[in-house]
Amino acid sequence: MLSAYIIHLLILIGIYLILCLSLQLALGYTGLLNLGHIAFYAIGAYTSALLTLSGVPFIVSFLMAGIVSALFGYLLAFSTNKLKGDYLALATLGFTFVIYAIALNWTDLTNGALGLAGIPKPDLGILQIKSNAFYLFFVSITAVFSYLIINKIVKSPFGKVLEAIRDDELAVRILGKNTFKIKNYSLAVSAFFAGIAGSLYAHYITFIDPSSFGFMQIIPILSIVIIGGIASLRGTVLATFVLVLLPEPLRFIGFPSSVVGPVRQIIYALMLLLILMYRPKGFYGKVSLE
Amino acid sequence: MSIFIQLLLNGLIAGAIYALVAAGFSLIYSTNKFIHFAHGVVVTFAAYFLYLMFAVLGINFCLSVIFTIICAGLLGWIINEFVYKTMRKRKASSVILLIASVALLILLESLILLFFGPSVKTINFLEGGIGVNIFGAMITSLQIVIIFIAIILFFGLWLFMKKTILGKAMRAVSNNKDVAEIVGISSKQIYAWSFIVGSSIAGIAGVLISMEQNLDPVMGTNLIIKGFTGSIIGGIGSVPGAIIGAFLLGLVEVLGIWFLPSGYKDAIAFIVLFMFLIFRPQGIFGKKDFSGKII
Repeated sequence: MLSAYIIHLLILIGIYLILCLSLQLALGYTGLLNLGHIAFYAIGAYTSALLTLSGVPFIVSFLMAGIVSALFGYLLAFSTNKLKGDYLALATLGFTFVIYAIALNWTDLTNGALGLAGIPKPDLGILQIKSNAFYLFFVSITAVFSYLIINKIVKSPFGKVLEAIRDDELAVRILGKNTFKIKNYSLAVSAFFAGIAGSLYAHYITFIDPSSFGFMQIIPILSIVIIGGIASLRGTVLATFVLVLLPEPLRFIGFPSSVVGPVRQIIYALMLLLILMYRPKGFYGKVSLE
Repeated sequence: MSIFIQLLLNGLIAGAIYALVAAGFSLIYSTNKFIHFAHGVVVTFAAYFLYLMFAVLGINFCLSVIFTIICAGLLGWIINEFVYKTMRKRKASSVILLIASVALLILLESLILLFFGPSVKTINFLEGGIGVNIFGAMITSLQIVIIFIAIILFFGLWLFMKKTILGKAMRAVSNNKDVAEIVGISSKQIYAWSFIVGSSIAGIAGVLISMEQNLDPVMGTNLIIKGFTGSIIGGIGSVPGAIIGAFLLGLVEVLGIWFLPSGYKDAIAFIVLFMFLIFRPQGIFGKKDFSGKII
């Protein structure tokens, strides 16, 4: 029983890890203050769920979840590339609300507030992932690959250009780089991984509804990224483990779930607030958020 | 035709509520120069505080209202004193202040949810049942009261900004903080005062909203989005612009759900916001200075 619970937590950590690392790429490394990351997560989850429910093989819909999210990420970055700072933050936040409204109201496609039930567990052709232990293995491999790819990106010359854009966009443009294009790619890659995380979530829980993708859900992810440290992948990994596990003891103390939910949000929001007040770089951060 | 007038009236009522939120929000923005997203939860706080005083404790209505408005102003002051002031000392950028205010919004909303539970609450002070017929459209007496109070409040706010010393000092800081400091206006005090005045207006908004709608813990998010969008439409730095923008938003939304399912109401606001942010970030009445900065 306990080991099943630990496996469940580890799967959640794996999914959060992909989500937070991808936000780190956009927010920490490129300096795009994206408060709409949850929208990409939602797009990935819905794309993958809808495709598999209509009979598309899992591996195709898994990749499509990333690709469709990346497409939306590119479009969002493309249409907001003139905006900076707070204005970009609000435009991307708005994107979350629009996607949420669509998930809730386009009943023919998304089944509205009732959500999509009976999403099949992954079937990789040769082997089927039925047990949670096996699913954990699959999530871990995906998370490790995501880490390696994002790590490769930020260490590459392209990653250095991203960091230069964050520090001084005008200077990079003077050097002849098309910064708009680079930012579009960065957000697209970031959205791709968020979509993948969404797909993993949908096939794990096997049920999705709009309430999992509300605006409030950005707070845990944002807390992890900022507390771990801006532009630090190591910090993000560490913070994901700590922060996902942190509210868990509440369940053992025996609070009802109507208390655990708000208290969990309070913990995350309070931690985010305190870190912004006293150490805006985060624990392993190299730079301050501008 | 009567449907059109009905929609127009509904838009006007929605607009009045948004404008009440937008007025306080843009007052705070104009001096502090950052987006105080947690302004929405001050409105929620006021509405729940009134519920606690009037419906639970059974205190006289007028007294409860006065207490509520004072406490809302106090909450604004506390937020500024204990959160934003510390961050400003560290020279935090407006982006960090924005993220902090989003965290604050969620924090206070979760606290309200924890104390009052998720079920909707109602304050039955005025039964707005008796409708008045205007050209075939129905409007309740309560809604007429809301619109009137809103208009009187906006006129009072305008007088306050134009005629009083505090109002003039606020406009001075809003226009140019450094020059205002040179002539002896303490910008720190003005920041605090704009939080107090702005949050008190939010308190009034909370009182009016709690009479018209049911209370639910997350209504603040929705309200601040509408108030903020209204401010952007009108021009974020100017209080009258924000009020007109909020009324326009109310009308656009109501006319929008004539064509679309009503669930898309929030999405309409955001599409309008998106359009303005991209094509005219300074709003209808706002101006840009020579370097392209929005003033």
